[in-house]
Parts: sequence; C-alpha cells; structure tokens
Amino acid sequence: MSSATTFLDPAALMRIKSLELRAKVVVEGLWKGMHRSPYHGFSVEFSEYRAYVQGDDPRYIDWKVLARSDRTYIKKFEDETNLRCQLVIDHSKSMGYGSQSYTKADYAATLAATLASFLMKQGDAAGLTTFAEGIEEHLPPRNRPGHLRRIITELERPAKATGTSLAVSIGQLADLLRKRGMICLITDLLAPIEHLEKQLALLGAMGHDLVLFHLMDRAEIDFTFEKSAHFRDAESGVERFIDPQLARETYLKRLAAHREHIQQSCDRHNVEYHWCPTDKPLEEVLFTFLSARQRKKASKSSAKLAA
Amino acid sequence: MTWLFPFYLLGAAAIIAPILLHLRRRPPQDRVEFSSLLFLDAQTPVPVSKRRLENWLLLLLRCLALILLALMFARPFLRSESAASTSPDRATLILIDRSASMRRDDLWKRALDEAKRTAQSAKITDRVALAVFDQKLTPLWTFEEDRASPAARTTEFPTRLAAHSPSWSATHLDRALIDAVALFDTNTASLKKHILLITDLQEGTHLDALRTIAWPADLRLQVHRLDPANADNLSLALAASESTTDTSVRRDTAASTQASTIRVRLANTRASRLRDFTLAWKDAPKSDSITAQLQPGASRILTAPPNSTNATTLTLTGDTEDFDNHLFIAPPQPRTVRIHFLGDNTTRDEAASPLYYLSRALQPTATLAPALSADKKLPTQNPDIIFLSGATTNAETSTALRDFLTQGGFLVHVIASPTDATLIKALTGLNDLTITDGDTTDDYRMLGEVNTAHPLLKPFADPRLRDFTKLRFWHHRHITFKDDLAKKLETLASFDNGHPAILTARIGKGTLILLASGWHPGDSQFALSTKFVPLLYGWLAAAGFSHDPAASLIVGDALPLDATQSHTITDPDNKTHTLKPGQTFTTELIGLHTIATASRKLTVAVNLPPDEGRVLPFEPQKLADYGIKLAAAVDLDATTASADQQRLSATETEQRQRSWWWILLGLLAVLLLETWFAGRARQTTPQTA
Repeated sequence: MSSATTFLDPAALMRIKSLELRAKVVVEGLWKGMHRSPYHGFSVEFSEYRAYVQGDDPRYIDWKVLARSDRTYIKKFEDETNLRCQLVIDHSKSMGYGSQSYTKADYAATLAATLASFLMKQGDAAGLTTFAEGIEEHLPPRNRPGHLRRIITELERPAKATGTSLAVSIGQLADLLRKRGMICLITDLLAPIEHLEKQLALLGAMGHDLVLFHLMDRAEIDFTFEKSAHFRDAESGVERFIDPQLARETYLKRLAAHREHIQQSCDRHNVEYHWCPTDKPLEEVLFTFLSARQRKKASKSSAKLAA
Repeated sequence: MTWLFPFYLLGAAAIIAPILLHLRRRPPQDRVEFSSLLFLDAQTPVPVSKRRLENWLLLLLRCLALILLALMFARPFLRSESAASTSPDRATLILIDRSASMRRDDLWKRALDEAKRTAQSAKITDRVALAVFDQKLTPLWTFEEDRASPAARTTEFPTRLAAHSPSWSATHLDRALIDAVALFDTNTASLKKHILLITDLQEGTHLDALRTIAWPADLRLQVHRLDPANADNLSLALAASESTTDTSVRRDTAASTQASTIRVRLANTRASRLRDFTLAWKDAPKSDSITAQLQPGASRILTAPPNSTNATTLTLTGDTEDFDNHLFIAPPQPRTVRIHFLGDNTTRDEAASPLYYLSRALQPTATLAPALSADKKLPTQNPDIIFLSGATTNAETSTALRDFLTQGGFLVHVIASPTDATLIKALTGLNDLTITDGDTTDDYRMLGEVNTAHPLLKPFADPRLRDFTKLRFWHHRHITFKDDLAKKLETLASFDNGHPAILTARIGKGTLILLASGWHPGDSQFALSTKFVPLLYGWLAAAGFSHDPAASLIVGDALPLDATQSHTITDPDNKTHTLKPGQTFTTELIGLHTIATASRKLTVAVNLPPDEGRVLPFEPQKLADYGIKLAAAVDLDATTASADQQRLSATETEQRQRSWWWILLGLLAVLLLETWFAGRARQTTPQTA
C-alpha cells in the first residue's frame, strides 16, 4: 500500500453486487498491505495487565510478569481484552443520495461491512446499529460464526426513514451500549448539529472510543449544478427553487462552517474524525483510520511510560 | 398546382401557435433530487420573456409539419393533363354485349333500343361508332364512316344491328375494351372520348386482361347495365371427370365400364328464388331423371342419370332461362386400331403363348377398339401395329416389314432367338449387330436402367409408377452393336447386367421396338406385371391411337383437326363447311359437330362456356378497380352537369396523382425528425453535478 494509486476505485468496487464480497475484497487488499506494515492491528492495545487487587481470581495472575518485574498483575481474558466495536450507520434518506453510480448509503454499508469483516477476522467483536430519526436496528457486538452474515444482511436492508435526529439516536445508543468499546459513527451529518456536541460528550464520558466517518458526495461538496431547478430535499420533501450560480457561494461557505463546527466538536471531545468523500478509495479510508489508531496507541503508551 | 379543397390551406395559419409557444419562456420545470437543503435558501424563479426564439430548428420542423398537414388536406394536383378534352363535342363508341347471357328476357331488345336512343340523341358534330362483342369485338359502324356520313347513322344502326343477335360465346369484356380503345383514331383526339357499354354485366364476364393495359387518361367508360326482371338461374356445365392421376387405373376403369362416367356441375345464383330442378337426358323416361333441390348460391357436382336411350343432350329444367340448361355429350366413338400378331404360335388360349396376354391386355375402351388378328404371315392390308414374336421369317416377310416401317408403321419385335439378327439387320440396315443368348448363370435378371423420359415410355413419367423391381426376366437375348450405331438404336431400358432390354429405332417414318425378352412367362414376368398394359397403351398412343378422351369443347374453341387432311364439318344447324388441309374451324354454336375426313367420322360436342351461367350482375364500380376511368352517372342534369363534371374530373385527376400520399410521407418524416430533436433536447436537460 505504497501509494494511493494502488487503491481500488470506489466506483469499480461498488459494481460488485454482493456486499460481503465487496468487504472481503477490501479486507484482503488491506491484509496484504499489512504484511509490510509495522502495525499489527489495534486489539493489542487493549490487552492490558491490571494490578492485582484483593478479591481477584489468582488463576489469572501472570506469573511470567511476576517473575520478571516482581509485580503481581492479572492478565485479562482474551474476550475481555478484545475490542468491542459498534458500527453506527446513518440510515436516513439523505444517505440515499449519490451523484455517481452509487449512493452514500452504499459507501457507508461497504465501509461498515469492511470494518466488521476486518475486525472479526482478527478476533474482535463487531456490532451494528442503524439509526435515522431514532435507533432502527441494533445488533450488539459479538464474534461468533454467522454474526458477520447478520451484520451484512442488516446493512443490505434499504433505508426507510426520512429525517435524521442525531441527538435522539445517540441518546438511545448511549442507553444500549453499557460496555465500553469503540463506536464508529458513519453518517453524512446533514442535520442540525446543535445537540451533537452534547451527545458526543456523553458517549466520550461513558468511556467509549468514538470514531466519526463523515461521508459526503462530491456533488454535495462542490455543488457543481449549473441549471436552475426546483431542488427537492430528500428527507423532508420540501422543494425550493435554486439557481446554482447564485447559491453556490453561500452553500460552500455554509458547508465549510458546518464542517468546521463538527471538527471543532470532535477535537474538543477527543473524537477521531475522518473526512470521507464518497469518491475516496475505501482502503485509503481504512488505512488512514488504522494509522490513526496506531498513532493514538503509541502516544498513549508513551504517555504511560512517561508517567 | 390546383387544390381540391383549398379551404384547408387556411389551416396552415396554425403555425402561429408553435411560434408563440416558442417565444414564451417558461421558468425551468426541472426537478433535482438533493440530499438536503440545509445550506440552501429559496430563490424566486426568474420570469424571463426575452422575445427571442428558442430551439429554432424544432420550431421550424413543427411549422413545417403543420404546413404539410394543411397541404395534405387541401389535396393538390396538377391539372395540365386533363386540359385536352375541353371540346364540347364527344366521340362515343357504343359497345353492345352479345354474349349468350344476353339471350335472357328482352335484354337484347333493350340493348338495341338504348343504342338507337344514344345514336339519336348525339349531335351531328359528335362522332358515334358502334360495335358488338362477345369473345371478340366486331365493329359495325366506325368513326371513319360516321365522319363521312353522320346523318346516316340513325338509319344504318338498326339495319346493321338487325344482322346480329346474341351468340353462344362467353363475355370477354377485357379483350373487347382493349380492342375498343384502338378504335378511337387520331380524328377523335380533340373530342371527349367516351365508351357507352351496354351489357348485363354478369359475374361470368372475363376482366383479367384489363390488368395488362394502362387505360387512356382521356377515355371515359359509361356503363349502361341491363338488369333482367329476375336473377333466378340454374346453370348446367360439364365437370371434370373423376380426378385420378394414375393413368393405368383410369384406363382399367374405362376399359371395364366401356363408357366413362359423366359428371355435371349444377349451380344456382345467389339471389335465386328457385330451388327445385330436374336433370334428365333428352327423351329419357321419367324414372331415369334426377329431381332434387339446390340452395341459392350453391353449386353441386352430380353424376349424370343413366342414359338408357343413348341420348346426347342432358337437359336441366326448373328455371325460366333456357340458354344454359343443355349439355351436349358426344356419343362414345371408339377408334379401331388394327393390330396384327405375327408369330408361329397363334393360340390365344394357352397361358404360355405371348398372344394369350396380348389379346387380354388389348380390350376395347370408350375411345379405342383394338382389333387383334394373328397369323404366321402378314395380312394383305397393312395393319396399324404389328407385334412380332417367335415367327420364322423369310426375305419376303423382311421386305414387307421394312416397307411397313418406312411407310410409318409401328413394329414391336420380341427377339426370340439369335437367328432374329438377320431380320433386324434387314429391317435396320445395321450389319454390325450380333445377338447371343443372354447369360444364364444367375436365376433371373431385373431392369437396371429405364429411360422413363423417353416418349415411348411415357406411361412411366409419373415417379409413382417407376417401380420396376418386381419385374423379373428368366431368359433374355444379348444384343451387341457397335457404339457408332448407338445413335440409330436407342436403348430405352437395360438389364442389371448392362445388356439392353428395350431398344428403339426410327426407320423411315415408322418406329421399331426391339424387346430382348418376351412378356410371356417362359421369358419373364412382364405380362403378369402392372407395367404391361400401360406400356402397350403407351405404344398405341405413340402409334397415333391415343386413349385419352377428347377434350370437352366450348363455344369459341377450335375443332381438333388433322392439319394434313381436308375435313367436312357439319354444325348443329346442319350447315356443312368444307375445310382444306391446314384450315381451322372455330365453333360458334352449341351442339354436336360432325367432323368427317376421308377415313373417319367423328362427332364432337360443343357446349356453352360455363361462365355464362353466372348471370348475377356486378357493380360497374368494380371496373374502376381495373384502372378504367368510369364516367359519372348516366343522366346528369344539364345545369349541374358542368360544375359537377369539373369537380369529378378534378377528383379523378387528384386520385390518380395522389400527391397527398407523398405529402403524408413527408409529414411523417418531419414528425419523426421533430420527435428525435425534441427527445435529444429533453435528454440534455437532466442535470448532472
């Protein structure tokens, strides 16, 4: 994975009808790239030793560490140490928009399937939550044979809802996810975001590791329409007459402000933000994501060492 | 350029509509689906009217379509060609039907009256000609005569017409009209040309040849249809005999029944009120007649009732029109064929004798009466055909046979022994010819190759009769001759070992047939096979004694005459016509004709053409389907005539030119183009980001 040119073209990838196969293609490519990579995935980060406290099961004491450092640590069970990742997908109507041969929803589904496939391949648990005006479907994180299949089936289901209510959905999600883990939020964030920051703070406070994949179509980013027309909101169905020539400047300005706002919120609450235009190769997104995780882990461990 | 309906040209003004529509500029009606209007404010649509035409090519096409539509409805035509007949004078040809169906009612009288009335009403500057037709056109008064003495026509017409009466012929209106067109000479070119057809316009009229000509544009046909009081008519015609293609079967049947069955077709007109009919031979007892019913419009084929009185006329009764109720059937006249069997064994009662089979195969039929004589020497009077088998011949016989052949005789020679070579050499004059006994190593021989295309093997032309595999030959003689003789001696059939089986040679005017094996069981199974009788009758036919019954003749057919002989013909009216060799005789009457030559007397039946019985009239409009220009209704009021006539002629010219058809095609092309352009313009509208 030396250069971006070797990435799969998203349009070509989306031509593969089966979501499972699509995810497999990306993951396989990623694994191959990983052989030459110094990183070994992020589940290592969570296999930690905890100092023994009275009442802990002595069976779990790591005797090697005791012999080496004369400290009593207990080694957590494999399943406990593994990452629990909840993929949260926006299923609103606006995700159904796509100026190319595929929509944002297709891209999101592929991204989620790829992540799930990748995680489960290395022994982590993955779950899925779809939301629009509220939580629609919820599959808790598991790593069982057949669970990936269930996730993929759920991802393939078309979006029914119309509007997006991020605040309500994230609030409900906070109730559902009691165990700490990673939450990958894949959405276009095309909704008022006044309460978003509050909800992100809530999830962060619950100890969840938050990753936000912000998806946008190229047409949404650049607003390259030329002729005047009645533009119809996919979610609300409201029509407005727009002359793109006149409206473009305002649109771009407002979009920039919107993104700025989101990014600031993310930074404040330690949310990992990934900007994903839908024409960006999926492998690149994943690779960036993994690199970021690795960096985070490195900085954490160096901080620990410093401490 | 003239317009049939100029009023419709106003419709072209409708092009204003698309122009206005193109000037009006509607705010964009396109709809774009977008994910969210979160960052977009509504704007007011800009109502622009720039007074500038949009999509001018599309507008042009739309205007063109409207103009073409208006043009099409206005029906343009070019008037130039109809300008010729502007002269008020007319050249009228009165054409009277004198076919057999005009014998009904008082049709002929009414036809004459109509002709006279037309002649009288014509102006002195008009040209009037007169002709009658049935199978062919007979001019009675030409335009030339009329120009010479126009005043004489009123007196001449009745006189000339009195000499004619309805004939017994079919109605060949097509030929008559084609010939009538030629009667208009150059002097009538400046006049309005006109044919007045006086006819009963029956269904049986022949019209097909009309398709072969282009009717002159300036010639009008006016039909004066004579309708009889009623259209009830039963007609009688000869039907084809039992359809069987197997000639051998037909021959056998004919031979056994002596006279072939006569089948007749009865028909009733569609509008007929008659049902009952009686079919009987002339002067036959009532018990021999057929009385039955026939539905209107139906036609039925019946077998003629038994002819106990040997009558020659079959009569149908039940309707009022008598002209098509008689059918003449010639009595059976078998032709004598003198056949001589030359051989030592002249017994007819022993199954081993060749003559036994010959005498049984040659049975008298309806058309042939073979007279078979048998002897060891030739008869004093030359027969028609000689069969030679197993005869001891001397030089005298050889010379006699050679003379017989050169004079046109027909000799079938069965080679019984190698010694026959001498006779064959004498007959053919071929010396390089040897005959030996055929090989006897095998049990039998079969026919290997048969030249069925040869006229002498005509009965086997039908592939279904070509199975010779059941035919076995126990003994045969091997005839060898040099290749250069192959031109003279033609092999008709050969055995499967390659030896010739049947050979033929033309000697003088006559025909010699050589058989390498006999037909009697001592030599082969030939006489017992199904091929023997057909082959014999085929040879009789080749010798000029055809078994086929004489074709049924109808009025207008030429009598079958031998071009080499002179004939005396007696027609049904007992008039005698003497014909020199080569002359022909076309029949004009129905009934029995007697043809007498020096050697033979033959009676031939001539009947009414069957189509004449189909008397139901058809609409004159049907003639227009054949491209004939029909004149308007007969008696137009003089005041309205000219305006209506002009209108009619304009309509006809327009119909002939049919320019609207081309405009319609153009319109469709423009509309297609418009659709394509509009589709393309629409395709470019949807926005892509």
